[in-house]
Formats: sequence, structure tokens, C-alpha cells
Amino acid sequence: MSTILRTSRLTKRYGGKTVVSDVNMTIIPGDIYGFLGQNGAGKTTTLRMIMGLIHPSSGEVELFGKPLHGNKGEAMERIGAIIEYPGFYLNLNAADNLEIHRRLMGMGNRESIDDALAAVGLLDAKHQKVKQYSLGMKQRLGIARALLHHPELLILDEPTNGLDPVGMKEMRQLFLELVRKRGITFLISSHLLSEIEQLSNKIGIIHKGRMLEEIDYESLQRKTRHYLDIKVTDEKKAAFILEQKLGTTDYVVAGSGGLRLYEHLDEPDRVSLLLAEGGVGIKEMVLSGDSLEEYFLKLTGGDKFA
Amino acid sequence: MLNVLLTEIMKLKNTKMHWLILLGAIPANLVTLYAFLPRVTPEGTRAGIDLQDMFYRQGMVITILGPFMFALMTGYIISREYQERTINQLFSYPVSRTKILFAKLGAVVVLIFTTSLLSCIMVTATGVIMSFTKPVEMEVLWSGIRMNMLAGLLALGTIPVSAALSMIGTSVIPSTVLGAFATIVTLIGEMGHGMRNILFPWAMPYWPVRELAQGLAESGPNPYAVPGMTILAVTFMVSLVFCIVYYEKAEIHSGS
Ligand SMILES: Nc1ncnc2c1ncn2[C@@H]1O[C@H](COP(=O)(O)OP(=O)(O)OP(=O)(O)O)[C@@H](O)[C@H]1O
Ligand SMILES: [Mg+2]
Repeated sequence: MSTILRTSRLTKRYGGKTVVSDVNMTIIPGDIYGFLGQNGAGKTTTLRMIMGLIHPSSGEVELFGKPLHGNKGEAMERIGAIIEYPGFYLNLNAADNLEIHRRLMGMGNRESIDDALAAVGLLDAKHQKVKQYSLGMKQRLGIARALLHHPELLILDEPTNGLDPVGMKEMRQLFLELVRKRGITFLISSHLLSEIEQLSNKIGIIHKGRMLEEIDYESLQRKTRHYLDIKVTDEKKAAFILEQKLGTTDYVVAGSGGLRLYEHLDEPDRVSLLLAEGGVGIKEMVLSGDSLEEYFLKLTGGDKFA
Repeated sequence: MLNVLLTEIMKLKNTKMHWLILLGAIPANLVTLYAFLPRVTPEGTRAGIDLQDMFYRQGMVITILGPFMFALMTGYIISREYQERTINQLFSYPVSRTKILFAKLGAVVVLIFTTSLLSCIMVTATGVIMSFTKPVEMEVLWSGIRMNMLAGLLALGTIPVSAALSMIGTSVIPSTVLGAFATIVTLIGEMGHGMRNILFPWAMPYWPVRELAQGLAESGPNPYAVPGMTILAVTFMVSLVFCIVYYEKAEIHSGS
């Protein structure tokens, strides 16, 4: 399958300190890749290496199937990005800032500036100097700039920094719309589990410079679902009863008399009665499973995500 | 390339750059007014306006202020990208960093020549008006304009030094301090009218200016022109190569 982005064993050391260590990341077309990590985990450093702003100590970055080294110009035409902070020429208005971007990206038409501003709801502030913009407005203008040249991949480093909850929600909707309408692939970093959870179809968790896990949303859901953990005398018979009497197939047989039932969590009494009536003995029945947050807590060894 | 240069010029819109240009140009214009004060020759007759002397004074002022002004302009153009945290974006374009550097230096060239041009506007206007009555003034006028162009060109020699300091320091301060120092050294040198001043690269633009001077102790072609030019050329080449290598290799952390 074609990849948009692949990093292999990407590593960055400053002095003796390894800040990013052996990070492998794979993004395919259509992904909304959530890059989750606490402050100082190494998110920005990784993104800087992907954008060619700093040189990896070792490892490689591959964009659109080609190594970044030697193909940077070509790759950059196909990427829109905000790294760390949406910097603008404060003495200029939004339109002039985007005009500079348009020229440096080497693209043709000026109308796209209005389109990009309209997409983030800043058309009215087009002639206002960026000096007068709030941080939230700058974030949105940063996204307008990143979108202007019709990129295939958007790399956004904590794009909802400085936005209020309403602004965050609007931003999420905008991202989803861009995926739907334009088929843009996203790489979004965040330290907010809730944000990534609501947006991403794939999550990479970085902690102290290491990629702890790269997981798609469905697998994560599976891993973080609650279930009734049932130990029975005969799991085959029990499974038959669950399907016939309870009418559910949402369970797995875990082997050696174990079953995990993902439905009817609030009626263990009914489940146990049905099993007993069918002649299945119940040795144990407990509600288990981690919440998403608990799952991440375990992964990072107890360090909390804000 | 022209496109990248144009974006650099666009970035200067609404900045204090035009005040800086005027600040560099106005003193030189004011000094030329001196020529309009009454002057009496040793024979006791009233002397006319001396165009060559006007150019000389104007040239002195612009070559003294130049090192400071031009260092400030260069420092601003290079360092603002770090200060305003636009450098991440700037280095994420499908344009090589060397090309960006040359566009920035190109913008400095535009500013230097604009300042030089404005600094000699008064004397040039005087010359043009005088040329209606005295055809001989045309020659002096042309030599004055030539002097300004050459002085502007020579001022470019030290620009990459300012650029290098600004990219290392990611601030306008190192370049400005150096510029102020160079201006003081040049001022002291030009006050002495010595021919040897031009061995200091920032004072090299004084070379064509001094050629216009009259009645100085030493006259004739400046014997230090060749060594002066050599020093300036080496300064230019070394600092320019340093800038290119540094700009290309630099890791961009700023914006954090
Ligand atoms: N230029 C540098 N020199 C030395 N250490 C650095 C440098 N840049 C970053 N670091 C260190 O690397 C680590 C990761 O930094 P990075 O900015 O990548 O984290 P982050 O995940 O983006 O955090 P945040 O959520 O705060 O933005 C931090 O411990 C930081 O101190
Ligand atoms: Mg960061």
C-alpha cells in the first residue's frame, strides 16, 4: 500500500540526551493520525525532523514514498504545516501573509486566498493586521495558510492550543470536513487524549521520546471496552446460551472456561440466571476492562495525560 | 528568484524601514545646504555654488552613517524571521535556503541604493538646475552620481558580515552593535581625511568620496585602493560563504 509518511527508527539526540528514540510511524492516505504525548515527550522534535527543520541523529523520514533527503522541495509542495506556533508577519494583514505564502509555494491563482480564509471563518478579518489577531485567530489563519496550496498532508502541531472549547469543536469539525471533502490526510499532535480520541482513526503514543504504541481506533476501542468476565464450567454451552437466549454475538471465548461478554453489562443477574437454567455453572463473574484513560495510564507507567 | 525577492520586499510593508531610509538620507541632504551659505574667495569676490563640494559632503555623511544604517537593515531582515517565529514556515517552502538568503540580501541591496539615491537628491537637483546655465556642471554631476553608485556598491561588501551575525544571534543586536562601532571608526577616519582609512572594510565606500575632495594635503590616486579592495573582497567572500553554509545547515529550533 502507498504511504504518505513513514519514519523508520527516527532518533534525535541533543548532547548526550536522547530526545526522540527509534520512532516508527506510518501514515496512509486518509488517515487522521493522532500523535499523542505529554509536554516534552518529543512530538515537536519529531515533526521538525519530518519537515526537514532539524536533522535526525539517525533514522529516516520518507514522504510520499520518497526519502525526504534529496526530495524536500517536492515533498513540501504537498504538505501544509504548523509547527509549534503559527508565526506570521505581524505588520501585514492576513491577505498579504497568505499572498507571500502563495508566491513561495509557487502557485497560480489569488482567489484561493479568499477560499482558504473562508474555510476557517476569517474572511471578515482579511484586511486586519495579524498583530491584532488573538492566538485563536492566528491558529485558524495558520490552518488557512496550511490549506492554501491544496496539500495532501496537513501536519499540525497542537492546533487547538489557545482555542476555547467552542473553537476546539469547530476546528474538529473543520478537520473532519476536510478529510471528507478533500481527502486530506492529517498528522495532528496533541497532549489531550480527549481531542485525539474524538478525531483520529489512528493513534501513535509517544512517551519520553519513545513510540509506545501505534494503534488504530478500532483496536483501541476493543482494548478499552468493558466486559463481563465470566468463568464457566462449559464455555461452548455458555456461548450457545448467550446467542440463543440473550440474543447477542458480542462476546469472545477466551479459552479455559473464560468468556468475555461486551453487552448486557448492567444485568449480570439475568445473564447468570440464563446460564444456570441452561445447565452451565458459573464460577466467577466480574465487570472488567480499562477506560481509555486507564489504558494510557498503564501504557505510560502511571503518568497522566492532561 | 525575482518572485522570492518580491516577497522579501512585501514583508517590509508597514515596517519602520522607510523611516530608517529617511534617517539615513536626510542628514546627507541637510549637509549639502552648507553650500548655499555665502562664501567669499581669497580674491574677495563672491564664490558660486560648488557642486563638487556638495557631493563630497553628502558622500561623507552617507558613508559615515551607512555602516550603522545598513547593518541595522540587514539585521532586521535576517533576524525578524526568528523573532516573529516565521522561520519554521520560511524553511518549509519548496525554495532552497540559499535562494532565500540571496533574496534577503537582494532586499538589502534595494534598501542601500534607495538610501543612497535619496541621500543625493538635494545636490543632484541643484546640479540639474545649474546645468541649465552652465554646461560644464554636467560633468561634475555625473561624477557625483558615479561616486554614489560606487559607494553603494562598496557598502555591500560588509553586508554578509551583518547577515552572519544576525543569523547566529537570531537577533538584530549583534549586527547593530557592530554597525555602530564601524560607524564610529569610519567617522574618526573620515575626519582625518587619511587615504589609509579605506583599509577598514566598512570605510571602503569613502574611497570614491575622497576622490571628489579638493585642497586636501595628499591628492592623486589612493595607493591603498588595491589593498583596500582586496581586504573588502575577502571579507565579502568569506562572510558570504559562511552565511550560505550556516543558513543551509542550521537547525531550526526557534519558535519554541
Ligand atoms: N534544541 C534543544 N536542545 C536540547 N533539548 C531540546 C531541544 N529541543 C527540545 N529539547 C528537549 O526535547 C524534549 C522534547 O521536546 P519537544 O518540544 O519535542 O516536546 P513536545 O512533545 O513537543 O512537548 P510540548 O507538548 O511541550 O510541545 C524536551 O525535553 C526538550 O527539553
Ligand atoms: Mg511541542
